[in-house]
Amino acid sequence: MANTLGYGGMTNHLGDMQNSKVILIMGANPAVNHPVGMQHILKGKENGAKIISIDPRYTKTSAHADLFARIRTGTDIAFLYGMIRYIVKNNLHDKQYLDERVFDWESIVVEAEQYTPDVVANVCGCTAEKFLEVVKLFAENSPGCLIWNQGWTQHTIGTSNTRLGPIMQMFLGNIGKVGGGCNILRGHDNVQGASDMANLSDILPGYYPINEGSWKYYSGQWQVDYEWLKGRFKTKDMMEKKGFALSTWPWGVIDDENAANNAGTPLKALICIGNGISTITMTHKTKEALDKLDLVVFIDPYVNDAAVITDRTDNMFLLPAASQVESSGSVAATNRSYQWRSQVVKPLYEAKEDHEILFEFAKRLGFYEEFTRSLKNGKPSYEWPEDATREFNRAVKTIGLQGVTPERMKRQQENWALFDPLTLRGSGVVEGEYYGLPWPCWSDKHPGTPIMYRTDVSVMEGGMGFRAGWTDKGPDGKPVVVAEKNGQTLLAVNEPAGSRFKGGHLEITADNIESFGITLTAEEKEKVKGKNWKNDNTYILVNKALEAGLCPYGNGKARARAWDWADQLPKHREPLHSFRQDLVAKYPTFEDKKDHYRTNIRYASEQNKQNWVADFPINVVTGRIVEHMGTGTETRASKYLAELAGEMYAHIHPTLAKKYGVDNGDMIWVHGTGEGKIKVKAVYSYSVAETDIFMPQNFSGLWSGKSLVDKYPKGTAPYALGENSNQVTSYGYDIVTACPETKCTLVRIEKA
Amino acid sequence: MSRMKFYCDDYRCIDCNGCVVACKEAHEIPVGVNRRRVITINEGIEGKQKSLSVACMHCSDAPCQKVCPTDCFYIRTDGIVLHDKDKCIGCGYCLYACPFGAPQFGHEGIFGVKGVMDKCTFCAGGPDETLSENEFEHYGQNRIAEGKIPMCASMCSTKALIAGDASEVDKIYEYRTAKRGDNTSLKPYGWEAYNNGK
Repeated sequence: MANTLGYGGMTNHLGDMQNSKVILIMGANPAVNHPVGMQHILKGKENGAKIISIDPRYTKTSAHADLFARIRTGTDIAFLYGMIRYIVKNNLHDKQYLDERVFDWESIVVEAEQYTPDVVANVCGCTAEKFLEVVKLFAENSPGCLIWNQGWTQHTIGTSNTRLGPIMQMFLGNIGKVGGGCNILRGHDNVQGASDMANLSDILPGYYPINEGSWKYYSGQWQVDYEWLKGRFKTKDMMEKKGFALSTWPWGVIDDENAANNAGTPLKALICIGNGISTITMTHKTKEALDKLDLVVFIDPYVNDAAVITDRTDNMFLLPAASQVESSGSVAATNRSYQWRSQVVKPLYEAKEDHEILFEFAKRLGFYEEFTRSLKNGKPSYEWPEDATREFNRAVKTIGLQGVTPERMKRQQENWALFDPLTLRGSGVVEGEYYGLPWPCWSDKHPGTPIMYRTDVSVMEGGMGFRAGWTDKGPDGKPVVVAEKNGQTLLAVNEPAGSRFKGGHLEITADNIESFGITLTAEEKEKVKGKNWKNDNTYILVNKALEAGLCPYGNGKARARAWDWADQLPKHREPLHSFRQDLVAKYPTFEDKKDHYRTNIRYASEQNKQNWVADFPINVVTGRIVEHMGTGTETRASKYLAELAGEMYAHIHPTLAKKYGVDNGDMIWVHGTGEGKIKVKAVYSYSVAETDIFMPQNFSGLWSGKSLVDKYPKGTAPYALGENSNQVTSYGYDIVTACPETKCTLVRIEKA
Repeated sequence: MSRMKFYCDDYRCIDCNGCVVACKEAHEIPVGVNRRRVITINEGIEGKQKSLSVACMHCSDAPCQKVCPTDCFYIRTDGIVLHDKDKCIGCGYCLYACPFGAPQFGHEGIFGVKGVMDKCTFCAGGPDETLSENEFEHYGQNRIAEGKIPMCASMCSTKALIAGDASEVDKIYEYRTAKRGDNTSLKPYGWEAYNNGK
């Protein structure tokens, strides 16, 4: 989505769904995964909004929808193109919006042409009539909000889904609108904060690209010498190279060929802090990797399931971490709102807060002083967590965290009642602020941006256009910011309300700021020389732009064509293990990709290896259940949740079960395409299609029919154990993000 | 006069079981005893799947009270139906009489001497001294005495489950049904609407 609109964040917020007239939920099941957020959707429904649920399963969310359409997993792109085609053919698109704000939307219309209702029906497995019912209901009601989740992202083509969703919304003029938007609901507490702070291997905090310029910028922010920092890496190339992804690291241990992508060596050690790695696909490969590593460290409040899955007997350490109630600081909600969290109790027993554990590592590795220098920022000591917050206030300019100060967050925490849940606007002592100061919050005077890309309000009220910093390859092969592509402008034709400069403009730099009618004094010019809005530590450029009603990152067009991507326009491509072998030739996957997050990833060669569906005839959908969170490590250790959902199962349609002679409650073996197998209880359900089974992803502690309970340290085994469904999920990773393919998996089953 | 009532809005209940866990955590209820349950019918069937949270309904003319041989039930002036565990002999008549399956008979734990009945107290404790340790041990928290609504309703993620004075609950119900504008207030409250096909 960042590569279409500018930012990857949820555009609107939960309360704003109450302003929608229609809500399309696709690849998401908020009744299960966001039960409290579901309240806003249901209130929206009471306000007259129509709810549409498109899903391979009839979920708890579908049960509250006005309209439900069942589609085959991994076919969202065909559905969306079909919608766009219908919208344009029936003149329901917002042409002015597209002309003013979207680059190369015309190509999308051409691409959409092939997706007639009949083609959609064939690819997606719903009827043409049902498809038309959905598109009519969605396109004819305005504003419409689009919700998605991991049902869209965890595919080989996940990033194409997340581009075409916002593009479809722009055809209806629904982005930058109250009650509209793309509301991506994050999977758990502080996911947004974790990615803002770069708990990822391809960026630095605030999504700064991992290149020399950014490293130099951060050396400055962290007050350490760039050369010293570079010396911590094997080579400069490795410093600027994407790391392994959460999904790909096992291949860096077990496949020798990947050593070439990793400075000539396989991975030797793993430190896993607060991550349930058993929710990633192909757990049996994760086990193989864990068994092979020289050193494994898990840092968690509970025993990480992966520590039990491995057979290793030495060089594995479990460090007890404090839980959320034992720690404090800012956490970012799904809608980019930052909230302050207070410590309720001190960490119990020998548990320590995460940062303390990291500081102890830094001390022993010999760089504690450098590690904490910018926390002190010239003072003799630092105050945790306030000084960590101030550090990102200073450093993270790209997403506008300047205004998200500890003082403002604490004041908001004490005045929750003064915020309006529908608009997030505060009153009284928090007047002029939106709840959680949703980023971008450009300065300590800025209110935050509850709804992104609005041009009907001024920048100082949370308005902004789309990004104007798209890059193209320059003559030397390095990316340069461009204002046009293929002869078309990338700058917007309109502007946010109150902007002193009319029309689109590039991002604010010291060189161009005066061309927008802003004047700087000689002293100011000297201070910002050579700088731009992202690296100007004096904030002069940002503050001057705000005064003139200009958005610091410019005012550009969203782009329908990502010219630097494997698929410039999103394309439907069949999953590697497709249930529809007959469609593979027409919609083939990508070519194999070398060195993708340091791993050589198979695409075409995996898809064409065999006729998968002949041997593995059942489609699998995995997902979360409401009682358990993530791997279930924490929730399965709760006796009440274990009582409610204590057993692993596979939902199977009675018609499919009959073919295999499986009675309700029988145990079945499920065999994956990647050699893993699990033994689970078959539970009859009409919620799944007759071709599919559904399995929760939240269990662990049983392994191919054997109990691992003896491997837990004494007294730490959870109440509920179950087979890990990811032992049978298939190989496959997103072409851009390497997100694992959990939603298109083929299996074969047999009665146990 | 005020009268305490639960109401579960089946248009809002999403079967998250938050009420069940809130109740159990608040009163430290043993596994196997369910003062509150969420029931889902027609699971997976398009247009017919419905969920509802059920506990003791605190009936005006409570059948449990009628059949109890030791007369252990009493109805407070605010309508909350409570019972005295010291008088209960665990005969199970109340369970037969109750249309909602509210009375629970545990097997172990703090409420658990087999045979003594346990049920939803509307978070109003019991006949022991208010807010005493004894009251908590036998009946759980007394949130009503603290001026709070029952834990299940206060933790309900979608505010499907509403608890409080009947006239206030009624206002919320009327407000929601009026907003929906589909005459849900005139439809029968119960499973008939979903079982026989809408």
